[in-house]
Amino acid sequence: MPEPTGVIHDIGYQRYTGPRLGRRQVFGALYLHGLRTAFGLGRSAKAKIFPWLVVGIVTVVAAGLTAVRSQIGQVVMTYAQFADAMSWLVIFFVAVAAPELVSRDLRSGVLPLYFSRPLPRADYPLAKLLALATALWLLLGAPQLVMFLGAAFTTDDGLRGVWNELLDLLPGLLYAGLWAVVFASIGLLVASLTGKRAFAAGGIVAVFLMTTPIVGTLSIMPSRAVNELAFLASPSTLVNGVGTWALGDLLVGEGGGGLPIGDFGPVYAGAAVLLVATCVVLLLARYRKVATR
Amino acid sequence: MSTVSWITARGLFGRRRFLLLLPLPALLVLLAVLSRALRVDPGEWGPPVLVGLGLAVVLPVVALIVGTGVLGAEIDDGTVVHILTKPLPRWQIVLPKLAVATGVTAVTVAVPLYVAGVLAHSVRLGLALAAAAAVGALAYSALFVALSLLTRRPVLLGLVYVLIWEGLLGNFVSGTKVLSIQQYVIALADRLAPTGLLETSVSVPVAAVMSALVSVGFTVLAIDRLRSFSVAGETS
Repeated sequence: MPEPTGVIHDIGYQRYTGPRLGRRQVFGALYLHGLRTAFGLGRSAKAKIFPWLVVGIVTVVAAGLTAVRSQIGQVVMTYAQFADAMSWLVIFFVAVAAPELVSRDLRSGVLPLYFSRPLPRADYPLAKLLALATALWLLLGAPQLVMFLGAAFTTDDGLRGVWNELLDLLPGLLYAGLWAVVFASIGLLVASLTGKRAFAAGGIVAVFLMTTPIVGTLSIMPSRAVNELAFLASPSTLVNGVGTWALGDLLVGEGGGGLPIGDFGPVYAGAAVLLVATCVVLLLARYRKVATR
Repeated sequence: MSTVSWITARGLFGRRRFLLLLPLPALLVLLAVLSRALRVDPGEWGPPVLVGLGLAVVLPVVALIVGTGVLGAEIDDGTVVHILTKPLPRWQIVLPKLAVATGVTAVTVAVPLYVAGVLAHSVRLGLALAAAAAVGALAYSALFVALSLLTRRPVLLGLVYVLIWEGLLGNFVSGTKVLSIQQYVIALADRLAPTGLLETSVSVPVAAVMSALVSVGFTVLAIDRLRSFSVAGETS
């Protein structure tokens, strides 16, 4: 029987003895990284083109509205209406940001690395979702802040005018939050289905765009109830319907022009909550499956 | 059928994700049948379904996914090197791929549009829509194939064109309509079957000339770009 020849050398590896950060720090790091990714911060100039193109357009529109308002003294667009008017840009921003957040990780197969940390399965998609929703909220909220500052500095009523303006701004920001949550949950769910960023972007836009004409068709059906419920069919009109119900005058302004949703306001609110909940549940289910691969 | 087009077609159909293209045309037919069954006036449901869904959404989105898929996907994977190293003139690579993209898009879009057109007005409108959609498929495919050679992010740039240029600006700034494939398609369909369901501000000769220019111009551009194509890693 030969003598054992293997020897273990001590080459000076040391165990890590410092503090170990837990679940909350992992979640926070993922969230912050996701938020930076959405705007292309900390990445190459090419990755910044599309997000900042959208941010630029939105800010220019807000600045233009503020300038027009201070010149002619009339409110062209309320804070809540601003979010509605920017819906196409929001869709485009989701199509840019959501695939960056989840599709890249799927494609490069780094998910096992993430889940080897003290990170529960559900935390990864939730952190990404929170990051995307925050990014969308900032996208819609920051221009509203520009409009608010413009209005506050040109008001003639002193502090009272500023206070009234603030009371208009806060529901607008809440409404922007609703936009952000609904669009982020749908967009992230679609993006998490494929590892190809190109297909994810196309899929997100297809989902949002193909639902709009359904609303157009349903709203001319020969039934009043169907007409008033038609706006449930598309995410943007669904959000708009909730806004019309909850915000009322703040959204539609004095001239009217809100969606004719009849008495179905609570249905819209319920549908919005249900939609977001369904998307989150499906997202979690998706990551339960992906993470085991 | 050349080997390149065979490979391209297999690359498109061989994956499950091609099934993602089917809901869009199916929805178009479904809405048309539903409106017809409920006896809604075609003058009311025609514009939102035929133009709003069919020509403004289904055609560009399908063309975008297919058009960037035939060449862009191979560039993304890096497998385009295998074709580029074969002793083929570049036009023999671009043209079959463009033909496959146009054919697939045209069939996917023209069939449901034909059905919807027949249900909305007459067989003539259906045929006109199908023919115009085929022309549009060629123009869009040429544009998106060229885009996938010009930039590493063809889908997003294509979305900028479809969403912001045709969708957003087309509604507010009438001048951009002269440079919008969607308007050419509407103008051509309206010329082939004047019904009053389709509205456009672009004249027919402009639409015909511009469609031809777009198709030929972007094809030539794509061939030219493929001549001096440099293979690089994934974008950051």
